[in-house]
Amino acid sequence: MAAIQTSSPPAASRAAARPIVKRKRTVGQRLRHDWPLLLMTVPALAQLALFFYWPSSWNIIAFMDYSPYRSFWENPFVGFAWFERLFADPYFVPALLNTLKYSFANLLFLFPLSIALALLMHSVVSTKLRSVFQSIVYLPYFFSWVLVVTIFVQVLGADGMVSNWLIGFGGDRLDIMSDPSTFTFLAWLQWAWKDAGWGMIIFLAALASINPSLYEAAAVDGASRWRRMWHITLPGIRPVIVLLLILHIGNILSVGFEQYQLQREAVGYQTTEVLDTFVYYRAIQTAQYSFGTAAGLFKGVIGLVLILVANKVAHRLGEQGIYQKS
Amino acid sequence: MATPSDGSNIRRRSLFKAAGIGAAGIAGLPVIAACSDIESGGGSTQSTEGFDFLPTHKEYELPAQPDLVGEPPNHPSGFTSYPEPVDGVETAEAASTEFEITVPMWGTPPSADDPYFTAIQEAWGGTKVTLRHADGNTFAQTSVQWLQANEYGDAINMFGWMTDSHPNFQETVVNTFYDLTDIVKGDIADRWPLLAGEPTDSWGQSVWSTDPADPETARVFGVPQNKSMGPGNGMFVRTDLLADAGLSMPTTVEEVLEVARQWTDNAAGKWAFLAQDYVTPEWFGLASSPGWAYIDGKLVHNCERPEYTKWLEFRRTCWDEGLIHPDTPTGTLDGHALHIAGTILMSQDGISWWADYTNKVLSGEAVGAVAPIGAIGFEGAEPIRYVNKAVDGWTFFNKDLSEDQVKELLDLMNFCSAPYGTKEYELINYGVEGTHFAYGEDGLPVFNEAGTAAVGAAVSYKCMSGQVQTFLTGNPDVVQARFEYNASVKDFAETDIFAGLRVEGPADYKTAAQTLIDQQNDICYGRAELSSIPDMVETFLSSGGEAAREHFTNAYNQAQGN
Repeated sequence: MAAIQTSSPPAASRAAARPIVKRKRTVGQRLRHDWPLLLMTVPALAQLALFFYWPSSWNIIAFMDYSPYRSFWENPFVGFAWFERLFADPYFVPALLNTLKYSFANLLFLFPLSIALALLMHSVVSTKLRSVFQSIVYLPYFFSWVLVVTIFVQVLGADGMVSNWLIGFGGDRLDIMSDPSTFTFLAWLQWAWKDAGWGMIIFLAALASINPSLYEAAAVDGASRWRRMWHITLPGIRPVIVLLLILHIGNILSVGFEQYQLQREAVGYQTTEVLDTFVYYRAIQTAQYSFGTAAGLFKGVIGLVLILVANKVAHRLGEQGIYQKS
Repeated sequence: MATPSDGSNIRRRSLFKAAGIGAAGIAGLPVIAACSDIESGGGSTQSTEGFDFLPTHKEYELPAQPDLVGEPPNHPSGFTSYPEPVDGVETAEAASTEFEITVPMWGTPPSADDPYFTAIQEAWGGTKVTLRHADGNTFAQTSVQWLQANEYGDAINMFGWMTDSHPNFQETVVNTFYDLTDIVKGDIADRWPLLAGEPTDSWGQSVWSTDPADPETARVFGVPQNKSMGPGNGMFVRTDLLADAGLSMPTTVEEVLEVARQWTDNAAGKWAFLAQDYVTPEWFGLASSPGWAYIDGKLVHNCERPEYTKWLEFRRTCWDEGLIHPDTPTGTLDGHALHIAGTILMSQDGISWWADYTNKVLSGEAVGAVAPIGAIGFEGAEPIRYVNKAVDGWTFFNKDLSEDQVKELLDLMNFCSAPYGTKEYELINYGVEGTHFAYGEDGLPVFNEAGTAAVGAAVSYKCMSGQVQTFLTGNPDVVQARFEYNASVKDFAETDIFAGLRVEGPADYKTAAQTLIDQQNDICYGRAELSSIPDMVETFLSSGGEAAREHFTNAYNQAQGN
């Protein structure tokens, strides 16, 4: 349907109608023009350089037989010897598989839980109730893993609260804290308690950006609560879901350290050995920093590839991803 | 996120390309460069005796003589009475320098404003010291990072066992700490009579070499702590609970098992044991750390011996029969609290738990009594008892200090070395009379609440430097009991086959040993079968154990003068 134009055409149309010949400015001109903006980026650049790029440059020790007590250039280059040792280590592949297992379990079970919690919170009308619920749910995020594991032992341990109830009712003690076969479930319980609330906060922020008039219009049109969620809420937070998903995939080989290290003796090293504990026990504890760096570099390269692939897939599916398509 | 404008000279793809080229360049460097084999992580062997640059030993006249005379080293003498304290150190010159020293602390650190610290500062001439009380439970592991980052202040107080967590402590010491040799060598008795009175072998154990293979590079890097003698830990039994159950102290491993079976009551929440890992190996005749014994003409690791299987069988039996607290593997339980509560009958602990428990009983925080199991064996085998082999630890100074600062710190160390029976010892170990303690009827200082919190519970200056001679001191009943206990086990004290050396195994051996510990835990807690032991041993030997045998054999030959 053709519309009657009552105002001047938009700037883009004018530009199309009357092409502008752009003069290429010199670097000096650009610097004079943009210096306030450039100045504002200096703190961020300095922070990145100091805490990211400078430490990252030390990845080069993965190719050296490095000792912190030699001057840098006295450390001999050993090529890919540490990588060869890494891939030949009989404990590397099990650690990698465990890492992937816990990472995917986290992705499959925790990610949707955070979204579900956010939706639940979003539907709570009472501000007071929402505030209390929100505090209860996301407070454990600030607890250390030591505290989380200790609390779980006190509650779910064989001599914990639940076990003693069961004994009181003539049952047996619960064995979940030291049973390797149920560790994935236990880990999920711990993630859910500790981290789901934090994930919820991010999705809640995304939910807040959805225009309320869309819900009102849908309600007037007779859309049920489920329909509104399916056609308004979820599409509204989809870019954030995709963004977080891609970032999560990039971190797929980093599942944390403390949770697994603290429960190593309880359920055994074969169950809890992930890449980070592998690096600690086989590299840091024996001062083989180059070996640990090689493992870290391996994680970083895999993470980068996964992020790029996931981002590409997101673009193919019409999503924005972590940066816009050019 | 905004994309670069059309006019921008920099595009994302250009950035990726540049980053890619840079990364390829960095990755290519080492390939282009001439490569060599990995040579680090070979371990070290350090001699700790025979040096000519140590402080000249000068006998320091003790202010009081012990009434219980033992047979050192494994049966130290003791005091069952408290001597009238005398001045042990001449008044130091007034000083106003400020130092920061990192010390371990188990529990809540005392306030820096406590009169204890003010009194000590006045007593040693005004030098202000701020103690950084770092969590003792994680001190060993976290100190690795502080030392690498030079973030431990002007000095650090470390116990010897903490250095096991340091991947290459020899390298750390010679690169991080002040080389004291030129200051402390020869006659130092004029300025530091108490440091000069410390045993020469304590100073010898404070020596590290820049190059362990070259004796000429050996230097003094630390001020030694006490050389505590006799057993350093034990399996403590609640003797009152044992008597209540009509049981008696076990004298063999078989009796330990029988007592555990009779006492444990799973439904009532009572178990015989908590952790068993570092005390029970001696019951089976296994060697203490580093776990090597000389048998039939060669060095044999614990895991290669039949006793190792028997030890794991014992631990597995305890687990399978429910004699161990079921949450033990989680490592989160407070062993002291469970022992006090009577939830567990036996608790492996440091020997100081004996006195600590007794003090808690006296202050009403606990009931009953504890005592360690003696030297016991399995199936009639000759028992052995692990004993302390070296100084308890050291205080190391920061290498960035000036010589004058180091000398002033040595003044403080000299003060802290004051022996039992001096006013300095009393101040450091009990605090200020009236504020932290009062003399009891038997003349012994008794802590009040403030003293227990600020002085009794804190390490502070107590282990800063060793005393000229170490005695059993404290509660007379505990001293008497420990004296008798030491007498009963001294003949079973384990012989140190590496005496006079400090041996650190190669990196691969440490990794293999960690795997062995993990696999041991699997057996002990029912996750693997005893039949997997031969595979464990084979893995251990092939992944670093066999190479380590050569390293430790060389050390053994050096120690034995072969």
